[in-house]
Amino acid sequence: MPPTEHVLILALLLFCVGAVGVLVRRNIIFILISLEFMMNACALVFVAAGAKWGQPDGQIMFLLILALAAAEVAVALGIVIQMARRFGTLDVDAVSGLRE
Amino acid sequence: MSLTDVWVSFPYLIMVGGTLVLMIGVSIVRTHAIALGLTLLTLVFALAALDIGWDHIPAEGYVLFSITRMTGIQVFFNVLFLLGAIVTALFAYSYFDSRAKRCEEFYILLLTATTGAMVLAAATHFASFILGLEILSISLYAMIAYPRDARHPLEAAAKYLVLSAVASTAILMGMALIYAATGTMAFAEINQAAAGGEQSYYLLGQALICVGIAFKLSLVPFHMWTPDVYQGAPAVVTGYVATVSKGAVIAMLVRYVHANDMLSHDGVFYAVAFVAVASMIVGNLLALMQTNLKRLLAYSSIAHLGYLLVAVLVVQTARPELVMETVLIYVVAYFAITLAAFGLVSLTTEAAADETEFLESYTGLFWRNPLLASVLTAVALALAGIPLTVGFIAKFYVFASGVEGAAWALVWALVIGSAIGIYYYLRIVYTLVKEVKPGTVAMAQSSTTGTVAVTVLGIAIVVLGVYPTPLIDAVRTIVQNSGF
Repeated sequence: MPPTEHVLILALLLFCVGAVGVLVRRNIIFILISLEFMMNACALVFVAAGAKWGQPDGQIMFLLILALAAAEVAVALGIVIQMARRFGTLDVDAVSGLRE
Repeated sequence: MSLTDVWVSFPYLIMVGGTLVLMIGVSIVRTHAIALGLTLLTLVFALAALDIGWDHIPAEGYVLFSITRMTGIQVFFNVLFLLGAIVTALFAYSYFDSRAKRCEEFYILLLTATTGAMVLAAATHFASFILGLEILSISLYAMIAYPRDARHPLEAAAKYLVLSAVASTAILMGMALIYAATGTMAFAEINQAAAGGEQSYYLLGQALICVGIAFKLSLVPFHMWTPDVYQGAPAVVTGYVATVSKGAVIAMLVRYVHANDMLSHDGVFYAVAFVAVASMIVGNLLALMQTNLKRLLAYSSIAHLGYLLVAVLVVQTARPELVMETVLIYVVAYFAITLAAFGLVSLTTEAAADETEFLESYTGLFWRNPLLASVLTAVALALAGIPLTVGFIAKFYVFASGVEGAAWALVWALVIGSAIGIYYYLRIVYTLVKEVKPGTVAMAQSSTTGTVAVTVLGIAIVVLGVYPTPLIDAVRTIVQNSGF
């Protein structure tokens, strides 16, 4: 079992990769994948912390995050399909029309 | 599971059961009126169940399944969410009846979102916190995108989806780091556990949770999504997002800050105080320029959440009872005013294909529809905090808490923000009484259910402002007889 510190650093790096992905990507599918990165980074920290404290709580939270991510992605993909049908593109900049 | 468990969790069971019944009902008969009826029935039963459950809750609160705790305050918040959902359902009936081809599923989403809000308000543990928050948010994504044929709701839903999911992951990461530092996820225990643990992870975790919550409450500098989502979402859903979803986060936040003493750390206190001041000033300044009523209300709600945060900030320095009283009264006032405001927008735009949300199209509404115009006047005055409306009572309470907590900078920001606000709120009233120019869009005659709901809200805004004693007494009794 690697030290908790190392896992935390890895998870924070993954989290940052996801956050940067959300900011720079223009395709909504890639934004969703980046979000998934961030969620899984959180899950990794929970598992590592659960192991550190010797409690099952961390893994229970991991399962909870899995379920939440699945629910979120289900709704998100529904919206993506509607976007593709309606605008014919998945580029978030092209879709943006709400202005002052 | 004891019998008391069943009684206390009865409102939740009814909400979930009602959702299932509605889901099956919609798949058998697709009738809009039946869907509305089942929804209202579920919400009213849940209200009754809350009343029954309350008799079984002792003064210090009842711990349910070790991750939630019900007290009188949670019951109060849940009643507000249910009432908010009833009003939203009534507006939705008028709004979707003429627009969407299939409007029944909306009510399923409304029920699940309300269930999420009720779970969030009762949370005392990170698991119930994130569970309630996500049940609420995921339902909201679908509610915002509900009118599928329109362009703006879809865009608003996509924006809300991405930003709200980022906020949720920030909160999750914060929880994970706090758990890594302390080994516990219960609100009341993390503070003590952190004292001996690694402070850096703990503080980073608290900061991430603060950022996520500020996102959900649309506080400056995390407010960018608010005007777009408020404008793009159907007006009924905007009203729901502005009230129930934010009210639930506030309910959780007050308990969270009170339980873990987070604000006694100087750095955290000044960061949150900065957010509050920025929200009050920036929200009001940006609202000055708006010509779109929905965007104006969005900026106004940013400022109002800033006011409310003043009360949350003095939780350590002022009496906790006064703070809780302020929060409850402010939330009641904010619910009534905001639901009335967005209800009006949804009513005045019923027949139109797109929403007539520009302030211009309300020119001279007094001479065309005096009833709706009077309610909109009451709403504008209440938002500005003019005496004889419930908005004044709420603002007075925030002021009193700020003074008792000796948070003078916050009180000054509150005064300056309110002063700026009066300008654009009075502009709404001015627009209403202006002479009708030839060529302005004629506004559709609105339907009964929505008009009744909006009139009741308008009367409540004025009556609670003129004679607030029953509300204050009720809130005081609840606060004094229940632990946080």
